[in-house]
Amino acid sequence: MSQYIADLALLCGVFIILAVSLNLINGICGQFSLGHAGFWAVGAYSAAAYSVYFAPPILDSLNLLIACGIGFISAALAGVLIGVPCLRLRGDYLAIATLGFGEIIRIFIMNMDSIGGPRGFTGIPKWSNLFWVYLWVVITIVFVVNLLRGTHGRAIISIREDEIAADSMGIYTFKYKTMAFVIGAGFAGVAGALFAHDSQFLHPNGFTFMWSVIILLMIILGGLGSVTGSVIGAVILTILPELLRFFGDTVSEWRMVIYSLLLIILMLWRPGGIFGKHEISLPFFGKKEKA
Amino acid sequence: MDTILETKNLTMRFGGLVAVNNFSLKLGKTDLVGVIGPNGAGKTTIFNMITGIYEPTEGDVLLDGKSLIGDHVALITQNGICRTFQNIRLFKDLTVLDNIRLAGHFRMKYGVLASIFRTKKFHAEEARLKEEAMELLKIFKLESKANHLAKNLPYGEQRRLEIARALATKPKVLLLDEPAAGMNPNETKELTGLIRWVRDHFQIAILLIEHDMKLVMEVCEKIYVVDHGTQIAFGNPSEIQNNPKVVEAYLGVQDEEQK
Ligand SMILES: Nc1ncnc2c1ncn2[C@@H]1O[C@H](COP(=O)(O)OP(=O)(O)O)[C@@H](O)[C@H]1O
Ligand SMILES: [Mg+2]
Repeated sequence: MSQYIADLALLCGVFIILAVSLNLINGICGQFSLGHAGFWAVGAYSAAAYSVYFAPPILDSLNLLIACGIGFISAALAGVLIGVPCLRLRGDYLAIATLGFGEIIRIFIMNMDSIGGPRGFTGIPKWSNLFWVYLWVVITIVFVVNLLRGTHGRAIISIREDEIAADSMGIYTFKYKTMAFVIGAGFAGVAGALFAHDSQFLHPNGFTFMWSVIILLMIILGGLGSVTGSVIGAVILTILPELLRFFGDTVSEWRMVIYSLLLIILMLWRPGGIFGKHEISLPFFGKKEKA
Repeated sequence: MDTILETKNLTMRFGGLVAVNNFSLKLGKTDLVGVIGPNGAGKTTIFNMITGIYEPTEGDVLLDGKSLIGDHVALITQNGICRTFQNIRLFKDLTVLDNIRLAGHFRMKYGVLASIFRTKKFHAEEARLKEEAMELLKIFKLESKANHLAKNLPYGEQRRLEIARALATKPKVLLLDEPAAGMNPNETKELTGLIRWVRDHFQIAILLIEHDMKLVMEVCEKIYVVDHGTQIAFGNPSEIQNNPKVVEAYLGVQDEEQK
């Protein structure tokens, strides 16, 4: 039982990183991306490829750190590749383009035999544990929060507020859209690396479009734009399916319907999400300033 | 006259519609010049061409003698032209202070990593930015509202904040697009004084679009009149007031609007 709770807590951590990073793109910068599972997959597979084929016999934690770095960089590069052409597109088109990217990545992996293809990627060492996952959770959150309280983060937010006004105030909006997109993709890659070294097995069908939607639901549930909200949303939607499992298989199969109902109730009760745009401030983020 | 901004034969076509036709203008370093004309005359389109939002179909825009055609909107602002919008475009869900700070963004000298690791340079630059922003807010009597969300300000203060935000980019040329639109007579009167004061205090050139004749006549030294995208008159306020073409085109339309 305690192993079960530990596994669930670890998964929560992975989804917190995914939700906070997607929130940077969707909620904070206002760019509607539906391809987050794609970046997660890129990070997971590239990190796993490192540890299966290239990892030298050094300390496991050091290897995991390198794997996370590789996950970040490869997903960030994928972010540049997708972001630079697509971020010039307006809302709906960006959503469609990123959705397409997520599926293409999956099909690409499906056809790469060296990383398992349709059989799945096996033999990944178990290097993840609660400590490393939550260390990365903290790194992700501190990174995003500190970014937001500086001039670059404000520039990212201004795009969501009014892109033409931001341009007119001398802000290169395309640069900051790309920045948000690439950093968001990179952290999704880290989540992938941590996930790969926990589950020890990856399959392309574990990164379908549905997962992009679930991560999106997490940040909408918590409140688009709120980092605190993303954390809460990720925890709720990671634990909820496990709770539903207690009610038997039929209830579990209706998971997506229950999510939809949850979302409808939320939209009626709190249209801005649980936290709206608010944050809970913790002292180690630095004091909130007074003017 | 020391020219800071010049437009040469600006023309903008939208499909078959000629929104602006051969519009030329010269603005001296501390001039306060008005552009008037009935609704749909092409005034806002002129601003959009000067600031790079539209690329003119024909013609040229020169700042300090250098052409701006093809420059990015942000670069044009960084080089010294900033504007306000006819339909206020503040960052509504951000604070008054953040609105001003964003206009100082392009002068900030620290990188992303400095902001993640909160370096000395980060703190120094942020302190400078905030100080400058608060100073500007004080001038515009908005310092007590620094932490209010922009969307919660009364209308007149939102207009004022937008002018303050534009000034925070430290422009050489300020473009104001109908700053008095939607204001009551009292607010308009206050604005009249403010515009003149801004020019004198900051020693910059101001180009003012206004639908409201009275404000323009009171505050501007020279006035361009456009109708259907074409310049129909240019002169000082009294010349414009007595120009039969203006009276016909401009006031004629106003009469129609009143009916
Ligand atoms: N982006 C656009 N596409 C098509 N027509 C436009 C566009 N922008 C302005 N126009 C047209 O150009 C004309 C001038 O508009 P505008 O410059 O906004 O007038 P003003 O500011 O003097 O009231 C109007 O007929 C308007 O409909
Ligand atoms: Mg207009």
